[in-house]
Amino acid sequence: MSREIQQVLRLVMLLGKQRGVRVQAAGGLLVLLWTKTGAAVQSLNCTVAGAGPWCKGIKMKTLEPDLKESMFPRMSPCPSVPDPEELCAFTDLYGSLRLLLSFQMRDSRLFIPEWCVRIEEFLRMFSLVNAGIKTQLKLQFSQQTFQQEFRVKIKSKVARAKQPSLMLDVTCRTQPPECVKKGCWCQGGHPLCGSRLPLSIPPEAMERGLFGELSIQPVTLLTPCVLQYPNLATQLTNIQVLVCSPSNVPVTGPSTFFQNLPNELDCQELGLHSLHCSLDHVNSGATVYTAKQENLQDSEQELSLPSVQQTLLLFLFLQHSDPFTCHLSDSMATEALIEHHLEGILSNNRQAVTTALQTELKNALKGLNRGKKNHEKLRSAAEVILSSSISIVSCSSNLDFRNACLSSMKVRDTHELSASLRESLRRVTSWKFIPRGKCYPTQVEEQEGDEPTGREI
Amino acid sequence: MGSDVAELFPEIEKLRVQLLHNVEVTADFRRVEEEISHQEVLTRIENIILGIVTSLSKDEAPVLTLPNRSSWANVSFDSAIGLQMSSGSDVTAVRSDCASSVTKFAQILKILSVIYRLVQSNSYATKRDIYYNNTQLFGSQNTVDHIVDDISCMLKVPRRSLHVLATSKGLISGDLCYMEEDGTRIDCRSNSAAVAVSPNIGGIRNIVSSAKFVLIVEKDATFQRLLDDDFCSKLSPCIIITAKGVPDVNSRLMVRKLWDTLHIPIFALVDADPHGIEIMCIYKYGSVAMSFEAHSLTVPSVMWLGLLPSDLRRLRVPEDALIPLTKTDENKLNSLLQRPYLSSQPDWQKEMELMQQSKVKAEIQSLAAIAPDFLTSIYLPNKLRYGGWI
Repeated sequence: MSREIQQVLRLVMLLGKQRGVRVQAAGGLLVLLWTKTGAAVQSLNCTVAGAGPWCKGIKMKTLEPDLKESMFPRMSPCPSVPDPEELCAFTDLYGSLRLLLSFQMRDSRLFIPEWCVRIEEFLRMFSLVNAGIKTQLKLQFSQQTFQQEFRVKIKSKVARAKQPSLMLDVTCRTQPPECVKKGCWCQGGHPLCGSRLPLSIPPEAMERGLFGELSIQPVTLLTPCVLQYPNLATQLTNIQVLVCSPSNVPVTGPSTFFQNLPNELDCQELGLHSLHCSLDHVNSGATVYTAKQENLQDSEQELSLPSVQQTLLLFLFLQHSDPFTCHLSDSMATEALIEHHLEGILSNNRQAVTTALQTELKNALKGLNRGKKNHEKLRSAAEVILSSSISIVSCSSNLDFRNACLSSMKVRDTHELSASLRESLRRVTSWKFIPRGKCYPTQVEEQEGDEPTGREI
Repeated sequence: MGSDVAELFPEIEKLRVQLLHNVEVTADFRRVEEEISHQEVLTRIENIILGIVTSLSKDEAPVLTLPNRSSWANVSFDSAIGLQMSSGSDVTAVRSDCASSVTKFAQILKILSVIYRLVQSNSYATKRDIYYNNTQLFGSQNTVDHIVDDISCMLKVPRRSLHVLATSKGLISGDLCYMEEDGTRIDCRSNSAAVAVSPNIGGIRNIVSSAKFVLIVEKDATFQRLLDDDFCSKLSPCIIITAKGVPDVNSRLMVRKLWDTLHIPIFALVDADPHGIEIMCIYKYGSVAMSFEAHSLTVPSVMWLGLLPSDLRRLRVPEDALIPLTKTDENKLNSLLQRPYLSSQPDWQKEMELMQQSKVKAEIQSLAAIAPDFLTSIYLPNKLRYGGWI
């Protein structure tokens, strides 16, 4: 089912591209899945509805033949219509419908709960890379409704050379630590656009009709942003790789190339101890690597601060151009070919892709690694500062001086003074805040409902 | 021998009388070197630590404030003293919450704790000892040297009161005997070998000398030449001293000590080039970096004996012994001419302008082109006999 939704979205996005729809074009996308229990057969229905400027100029009548051609044979037109109230609620928000497509899967026993997760993940990823479109998912089964809205609080436009710009969802969903003052936490991320890498098309793909120029555009996003805290210890916990087709629709499905990629990367150069492909996220459509930092010595563990955990998103946007591909059906077919031969394409360009990704990851993690070095410098200097200060206090015979130090820190003896000074120095240095113009300060009213909402009606 | 010098070198005697008179006149204005007590040094260090603790108690990152010792904007000129640090001088903040400065903050604290223990136990250590105790923290000897001077300036305490000694690089020879702090007797009267300048000038006592003048020699090569030619015997009684180039603090302190104790003319023998002139100015007027301690380091009465740019013309030094000024030399000369102390030295100014016009410089060794022993047999004796100093 997610494949079908993917096809529909691909079609709409390619249409938009052809019509020159701008990346900032907003609007809504509703994916509604519902079941109707008949006498003998349960059927699963799906409606994809679009409203707003992003689907401007779509004419359903001219779209239907292309849709029929590109849909899987086992899909059939949906005999029933979705609940008008559901559509009303949607159009109230986003305007009149420009896209409305419904189809049905005959045997809904084939529909398993894991599909919900996959569809949800797919739409989440779609929303990440098409942040101008507000995406909603509604599931209605056995008179129960589950609704999810993929809210985008902060968007960032990423310019690309010779390509339309991207609109990414850079909202940071990590709650700030308690000690962070109001207005002092960046709620967004700052995507880094890497260098475009041309890809050579392998012979087997060419034989199937894939021609033209193919390339990959990496974009990295490290969240949460801690640029305003230059001394903060951070720890990279995972890297998520998300591939998008030329129509900006996420490419789902496990990839052997990306699963094996950690073995090809130089972890030491990235400042990591190891990277392992996590099989827990196979359904997500993104390849996830679990990152491990270098092992700290025991003494360093004791003295190290609780660090902020960061995730690195690595977007890989496939780009394709072929002057002989101008019809929508050709574009759809090309995208299908690219997806089908993606493993072969990546393997054919293994060295170049690996080197390029190593470079992009290194650049993306530069700030994190610099922060680590700063943190280590501060930590080792703090030891000297504390030991030197305590040494002077301890061996001073000036009672006034000693008492002034102890009472200042509200402690009873030099042992407590040492602990108290250490804690205070750690606090003031780690959480040193330097505001940056490009960061997104916390808004009190937006602190509620950051997560994608889900409720039962 | 002393009376022979007075007869043979009447000009030196005249200068000595004149200088003595100036010393009496300006005695009221001469700042007597303050002896900072051990307790005062400890208290000043404790105040720094208390400041740090107080900052942390308010959840503020501690910051150390160091007077900027490298800026000309922070010094003023007094003809009786030389270059001295102004009261409202610029400062540099060394923060403990900034990765670029935290290491320096830690280094300062470490050295403060070492100094605290030295002063408290009335023991001494050299800068080298401090460096080798923690090479990983300090990285280089230079770092320790700078920080010790920074601390001296920050606490407004002479370095010798911090109980940190520096290895001296200077040499001294001539009519001079004294006793070191540990009781060692030093006799500088050896004809062939010089004595290293003491690392603890403040501890020197019982200075005995009949010297009629002190000759500061810029270069070690020239100094050795004077030793080889038995200069101190020929022009006895006198004292010669060299710091082998840019003078270290101990050599400057020694020259100042000789002046304070003996009140005899002090002459400088430097190359006729901008570098040599600058070295001479450091002895006479001090340096920007050590301006906070000018009172104990400068000797404003230093006279320029040679090699003067006008000497080159007068003595017809062969042209092949002369060296064209480089661009760096010209820039240095321009900078010297703009120094605040030159306005009180019109004769020096004239000599430097002569060098600017002629666009040549010369080392003292160039006099050997006239005759091998010209320096010690003719040049210096005549200069001293006929008052050839400015």
